[in-house]
Amino acid sequence: MRLDALSRLVRLSLARERKGAFFSAFGVAMGVGALVFFLGLGLGVGRVIREKIFPTDARLVDVVPSAVSLGSLLGGGKLDAATVERLAALPGVEAAWRKMNVRVPAVSRYDGAFFGTRLRMGMEVLAVGVEPGLVKDDVKLGEFRDMGEGQPIPALVSTRLLELYNKTFAPARKLPQLSANMIVGFVMPVEFNRSYVAASSGGPTRSAQAQVVGASDRAMLAGLTIPLETAVRINREAGVDADTFTGVTLVAKDPSQVPALIDAVKGMGLEIDDQERRMAENTGAAVALVTSALALLSILICILAAVNIAHALSASVRARAKEIGVMQAVGASRADVRGIVLAEAAVVGLAGGAAGTAAALLLAFGVNRLASTYLPSFPFKPDSFFSFPWPVVLGGVVLGLFAALAGAYFPARRAAATDPARTLAG
Amino acid sequence: MIRARDIVKEYVDGDGTKVRVLDGMSLDVQDGDFVAVVGPSGSGKSTLLHLLGGLDVHYQGEVEVGGVKLRGLDDKALARFRNTHVGFVFQSFHLIPNLSALENVLLPSHFGPAREDARKRAEAMLERVGLGAKKDRAPVRLSGGERQRVAIARALFGGPRLLLCDEPTGNLDAATGDGVIQLFKELHREGLTVLAVTHEERMSAAARRVLRLKEGRLVEERADLHLATRGAP
Ligand SMILES: Nc1ncnc2c1ncn2[C@@H]1O[C@H](COP(=O)(O)OP(=O)(O)OP(=O)(O)O)[C@@H](O)[C@H]1O
Ligand SMILES: [Mg+2]
Repeated sequence: MRLDALSRLVRLSLARERKGAFFSAFGVAMGVGALVFFLGLGLGVGRVIREKIFPTDARLVDVVPSAVSLGSLLGGGKLDAATVERLAALPGVEAAWRKMNVRVPAVSRYDGAFFGTRLRMGMEVLAVGVEPGLVKDDVKLGEFRDMGEGQPIPALVSTRLLELYNKTFAPARKLPQLSANMIVGFVMPVEFNRSYVAASSGGPTRSAQAQVVGASDRAMLAGLTIPLETAVRINREAGVDADTFTGVTLVAKDPSQVPALIDAVKGMGLEIDDQERRMAENTGAAVALVTSALALLSILICILAAVNIAHALSASVRARAKEIGVMQAVGASRADVRGIVLAEAAVVGLAGGAAGTAAALLLAFGVNRLASTYLPSFPFKPDSFFSFPWPVVLGGVVLGLFAALAGAYFPARRAAATDPARTLAG
Repeated sequence: MIRARDIVKEYVDGDGTKVRVLDGMSLDVQDGDFVAVVGPSGSGKSTLLHLLGGLDVHYQGEVEVGGVKLRGLDDKALARFRNTHVGFVFQSFHLIPNLSALENVLLPSHFGPAREDARKRAEAMLERVGLGAKKDRAPVRLSGGERQRVAIARALFGGPRLLLCDEPTGNLDAATGDGVIQLFKELHREGLTVLAVTHEERMSAAARRVLRLKEGRLVEERADLHLATRGAP
């Protein structure tokens, strides 16, 4: 059957069955709309978790020395230079970035201008030294390396710390909101080998300046992230361990190699710090579970819509038996008749799918608007709670089509089986 | 035009028993003939028309129409045959109510090959049956006779050489029926072969040949003598 003829006949019968077609399409729109909306919400929340709350890189494996293990007795649990070399040589490892904590306490005492206000504070400071390669993309000022005694220490702060500061710490203390760019260049004094809460280990206190050079997802949450050589130097000057590392971040060539890499690392008597990854995975799994449940419910609505279409089309085919007989008498084959019924359903399904998808997008837009206006600011509050990648949008429309065609299957067969000799007699 | 041999047609009744409606029936109709088939209600007249027109394939025997052997055509080929070789006219017109007269006539064009002149041709067919001025009317706004004329125009659209008519005047009053009978006569004069099932005395009177369906077979009731000189193949 020709397409132009088919479209004419379909338009004709849809025009006549406007009401039934509308309700059929409405059912499809409900199911598809709910599915697209919930999938978009699940993906959106998942993205916030992945990118903002626990930004983990699927290729990174954080190796730490084993706390208590047989390995340490055998000399295998420590992260010394030789162990790092062996780690770097593991198959699938693209890079191995060493980390060393500053192993003496440190404090910062600040009294001065702070982005338009005055700030007076003193606090304990933790610091970790990392290799420049790990954070090079986030350094916005100067070089990330040890500048030597008496020079300002380049320091990165955690993007998450910044978020927590902006959303909870600053508002309560009437401090200004800060962006990653604003804090670059900010200098604060740091005194190493000094503590407000514990007795010093002895030895001289060393004063230095720390200069913020950027914000990074890979920086430690509660503290300063400084060049590895600086941490080594401070430790050495304080007479503490400056040879073994606190951790090594391995970069796998490919995320798929990570599980094998983890096994190899554990085989060396070392441990993996996967707290963050696990937290991200757990939260992600919870979101995925809820999303799946809601998606299942939506698919149930789609199935109901298909059943509804089957019902409506069956009735319509029965009512049109004579008309179908006439078409057969003037040259319609069984395939033509089946095609007409299926095409009617396809139009209803596509219209319902498109309308449902559009409604879901619109509703998501509305929810985002309401959230940005009426929900108070909280840490990691996203601009959008939704994510609609194109396969979801396209899939919504296709699902509508599919549900309608599924519903039309039996009515179309029944229509094609119409016996014209019987319906036309008399 | 028509050659049917040893047709046996059985229906299975509601209680499972087989009812033989056509029982070894044969039929020959010459090109350009006008044949009336009469017989009591339930004798199988409609059944005969349906299988001659390729609407019914469940029978035994051979049917050849316009040189086409119907046995062995698949559903698609049979649909094509109905589209181009025969035109059906029914007692209750069977127009599609929400289509205008013209669109009803155009219905066969949807199942045939695309033709540029479809609309023109449909208008010409309506003109031919005397309804050129009412082509945009819906069937409900046409009289019974006019509806049947639209149905005849639709039957003519595909350019068939054979019209199969099932009680074409059965739903019309005498005067209107006469008009339609007149139209069949004209079409016959123009060379069309007409096979009409009828109860109507005037319709069978208009035909050149009358056959009676009796106990599942056709028997000649009246043959027009001119026929031999006119219809030979
Ligand atoms: N689909 C069917 N199933 C079972 N029996 C049928 C079917 N169609 C027709 N019959 C039977 O076959 C016989 C012939 O039917 P048909 O319609 O051909 O008669 P007819 O001569 O056209 O009658 P009428 O003059 O009333 O239109 C009837 O007895 C009828 O009951
Ligand atoms: Mg009949």
